[in-house]
Amino acid sequence: MSMFSYLKSLSLLELLKGLRVTGEHLFKPKFTVQYPDEKTPLSSRFRGHHALRRYSNGEERCIACKLCEAVCPALAITIEAEPREDGSRRTILYDIDMYKCIFCGFCEEACPVDAIVETRRFEYHGENRGDLIMSKEKLLAIGDELESQIAVDRAKEAQYR
Amino acid sequence: MVKITINGNTYEAQAGQMLIDVADAAGIEIPRFCYHKKLSVSANCRMCLVDVEKAPKPLPACATPVMDGMVVQTRSEKAQQAQKAVMEFLLINHPLDCPICDQGGECELQDVAMGYGQDSSRFKELKRIVPDKNLGPLISTEMTRCIHCTRCVRFGTEVAGIREMGATGRGENTRIGTYIERAVESELSGNMIDVCPVGALTSKAFRFHGRAWEMQQYPSIAPHDGLGSNIYMHVRRNKVLRVVPRENEAINEVWLSDRDRFSYEALESSERLLHPMIKRNGKWQETNWETALNYAIEGLKNIIATYNADAMGALASPAATLEELYLLQKLVRGLDCSNIDHRLHQIDFSDQNDAPLYPYLGQRIEELEKSDAVLLIGTNLRKEQPLLNHRLRKAALKNTGMINEEISANIMLINPVDYEFNLPIAEKIIAAPSKIVSELASVAKALISLTGKNISDEITDLLADVSTNSIHEAMAKLLNEGEYKTILVGRLASTHPEFSKIRALAAWIGKITEAKLGYLAEAGNSVGASLTGVLPHQGIAGHKVENEGKNAFEMLTKEHALKAYLLLGIEAEIDSYAGSNALSVLEEAKFVVCLNSYKTKQMQQYANVILPISLYPETSGTYVNCEGVWQTSHGVIPPPENVRPAWKVLRILGNLFDLDEFNYDSSQEIQDDIHKKTVNVSLPNNLQDWKMPESINIAISNEGSRELEKIIEMPMYAIDSMVRRATSLQNTQDITQAASLYVSSRQLKDINITSSDGTSLDTQMPIMGDERVPDGCILYYAAQKDGFFSIWNESFKFCSSSYHVE
Amino acid sequence: MATAQDILSASILAEIDKYIAKYPAGRKQSAVMPALTLVQDHNGGWLTTQLMDAIADYLDMPPIAVYEVASFYSMYELKPVGKYKVCVCTNVSCMLCGSDEIVAHLEKRLGIKLGGTTSDNKFTLKEVECLAACGNAPMFQIGRDYHENLTPEKVDQILDGLE
Repeated sequence: MSMFSYLKSLSLLELLKGLRVTGEHLFKPKFTVQYPDEKTPLSSRFRGHHALRRYSNGEERCIACKLCEAVCPALAITIEAEPREDGSRRTILYDIDMYKCIFCGFCEEACPVDAIVETRRFEYHGENRGDLIMSKEKLLAIGDELESQIAVDRAKEAQYR
Repeated sequence: MVKITINGNTYEAQAGQMLIDVADAAGIEIPRFCYHKKLSVSANCRMCLVDVEKAPKPLPACATPVMDGMVVQTRSEKAQQAQKAVMEFLLINHPLDCPICDQGGECELQDVAMGYGQDSSRFKELKRIVPDKNLGPLISTEMTRCIHCTRCVRFGTEVAGIREMGATGRGENTRIGTYIERAVESELSGNMIDVCPVGALTSKAFRFHGRAWEMQQYPSIAPHDGLGSNIYMHVRRNKVLRVVPRENEAINEVWLSDRDRFSYEALESSERLLHPMIKRNGKWQETNWETALNYAIEGLKNIIATYNADAMGALASPAATLEELYLLQKLVRGLDCSNIDHRLHQIDFSDQNDAPLYPYLGQRIEELEKSDAVLLIGTNLRKEQPLLNHRLRKAALKNTGMINEEISANIMLINPVDYEFNLPIAEKIIAAPSKIVSELASVAKALISLTGKNISDEITDLLADVSTNSIHEAMAKLLNEGEYKTILVGRLASTHPEFSKIRALAAWIGKITEAKLGYLAEAGNSVGASLTGVLPHQGIAGHKVENEGKNAFEMLTKEHALKAYLLLGIEAEIDSYAGSNALSVLEEAKFVVCLNSYKTKQMQQYANVILPISLYPETSGTYVNCEGVWQTSHGVIPPPENVRPAWKVLRILGNLFDLDEFNYDSSQEIQDDIHKKTVNVSLPNNLQDWKMPESINIAISNEGSRELEKIIEMPMYAIDSMVRRATSLQNTQDITQAASLYVSSRQLKDINITSSDGTSLDTQMPIMGDERVPDGCILYYAAQKDGFFSIWNESFKFCSSSYHVE
Repeated sequence: MATAQDILSASILAEIDKYIAKYPAGRKQSAVMPALTLVQDHNGGWLTTQLMDAIADYLDMPPIAVYEVASFYSMYELKPVGKYKVCVCTNVSCMLCGSDEIVAHLEKRLGIKLGGTTSDNKFTLKEVECLAACGNAPMFQIGRDYHENLTPEKVDQILDGLE
């Protein structure tokens, strides 16, 4: 270390430089979001909790083609199907294991009828073991609840798909 | 041999072979829809167009015979252009419903469209819609998906022998169907599902249940007929979702009978027994294996101690595995008992010591196709052994242009009912069961006088009084003229009260004509059961036993009733010809142990212990088919709940009885043991193994008698416990028609049913007129689940108020 | 099932026999087209399932094979038709020479669409593929007669002649 830099270090210049940066930020506008009181805006492509959608006449969209089950890299989806009374192809079991799910969105992309979608919902929890294994009924209920937002998001992204 | 060049490589080929066959053998891929190697060439899909040098236009590879020096390009620009164009045309009217189509993932159209189709369609007009057809309880249709390859039409005509489907209309209006509403009923109809390249014809039982990519495929053997068809089971999450054929040219070719295809449904039956059950103080309770086994052992030991080992008897299903059958006989013989049998449908056992070791077909299955003269005795072959019938059909139709060969077989038959055959019949005799023997004797006599051959003087004497007519002589002539002759003895003969005489006569006819004599093994392991010694008079590999035991029929009749029974895989009252007598005998028995996969009301009436055993997809085991071939299959799914493979149960029973050499750790060890003991057994000589009858009765006239002769048929979908619980099969016409009694139309008016003391009985079953039934007979179907009649029920008599034959 | 003899008259069967004789022995089915034509002519211009079954029985064919033939060719009718069947060709040559105009004119004059029959059961209008008279397109066929080089005036003339 040279004599010059030794003397320079005694002048506390670095400290003052650092304080200058702090001082600058002290008066700049703040970026921190006060979650959960405040929330960040979400993209219409956000991949949150899954939902199963219905058509406007109330008919469930899912036709049990099992493409989502096949494409799921985490093997989180389990489907059983059989003919419904009216002869149409429907699931009798549609489970998504949210413990396994990695939110890759492949299921959504594979779906030929836009039945399984990932919503903007990401705040959820389970209180008991197994609570996060989502059944068909639960997924349809989420779909019903969030349909207005889901429809807007899909419409917005339609041109890119 | 000619040399052709495909894509620059030279290949050798037979002159006249089609281009596509040569390419397939060389592993060169040519897309196709209408071509199927087992069906005639129709060349109507045009997908296999290839570029042949010097030909102005692309040629269909399936209909272009190879010629020397031919130069073929399958991937040239011209060929590809043609293939792409055809693909585009085929997709014009094909709906885009792959996500809901059962064929999705294993669809030939999907696969080929991936390789030859375009990204998007240029077709903007409306697609056509075709109404669905009703093809019965096994096949579901989505005719809009049809691409008119006509494979199903050709399958119906050429293989199933039902020319009911066709392609009507033309162009866009072409429809595959029957034109007028009618059901398509065939014992091989399930194969239409396999031949359909798209999702137009799919399996009703499998509908929407699974996807091709999520199932594992395991090889197995189907045990429902003597053929031992090779199958694949498609399994997902330990559940069999469907069964498809596994190609084996020597046995089932590429086909599968509906019975073998749909019987898997019975795995999920609600009657499935899942835990061992014992009856304590008249009440049934589920229990664990230890308790149940000890209870069974105690009960049997008590009987042996109180009476002796001969007071016990065992009956086994011929559809059980070789290992199970072997262990059962080892167990029973180990206890010094000889009452063991599997021949549940036989009545006449008088020649059992002279009979062939097992019901051998007399030749390889493949060799049946070589036959040019065939005599069928007492068999509804189409229903008994659908794929053997197909082999004969091929032989019979060689000369009709359908299959291009020089010779075609003359098929003759002697049957008690005029069954419908899907092949041309040269000569036939339809006679009441009591006249079958004398009719057969007449044919033998006609042959002797035709050829002048004398087998022995004794036989000539026996046949002295037999008269012949022109039909017998015609049969004799055709049999004598043939080069490769076959005589097949079926279920209606082996269940005949004079089976031993039929056996002898068939052998004589065989000897005179130098024919192959074959027996149609009823179940998957009829041969194996005889080989391992599940017989009262023989041990394994035909070793004679000192004390001959009681046969199946005796064991279940009152006079010979035993004190204890061990039943393996059978519902005795339905599966045995002792019928409802069996029920009362078993009810009176002191101790009955059932090893079964199902529990029934009847079983709970007579049994003391019911042990749940696995069905064939749940256990490893070997089946010996009618040509003597051993085929081993492995379990494809684990048995449910507390169910265990029968070989394990029998092994433990053996241990608990402290019998020697019962410590097998795998079914393979048992199989090795059986193999060691039977390695020296040669194929039976059916022409030599028979017993000289004491007399040949010439048709006894039953005119004046008012009692009708019984003809008992097993409906093809009721032959064993498993088939009886396959729901789809139970909805077929074969089962619905079994709910009636049939008499000749002329006698329809005045039939009543009386019990043995002569009082009239009211039957719930309708009596119908049927031209197929000879006068003086009544045809009824056995193995009805809750039927009014069981099999061979002596106590019921069928009488006509006035017997008259016009 | 009723046999051919029950349904078809002896004279028709004799006619069919003449055609059968034209083909080698054992190739009876070859006579199916003339047989269908004969039977159709005797039945007011159309075929019932029963008639086709009778032909199948007489020629030893499976009934479906007869249905296939009858539904394939446009000269066989599976539904009742009017007294005069006007078969207008709309294939390429005729179309280029103005068959559209002819069809429009016919539809207007008869008051029916292609495939329809007039309420008095006199005319049936049918669109057919090429009848091999391209040289004198446009054309139509009524009964056994070809009418060629058609114009709306000529069509009126021909139809007037029939009424």
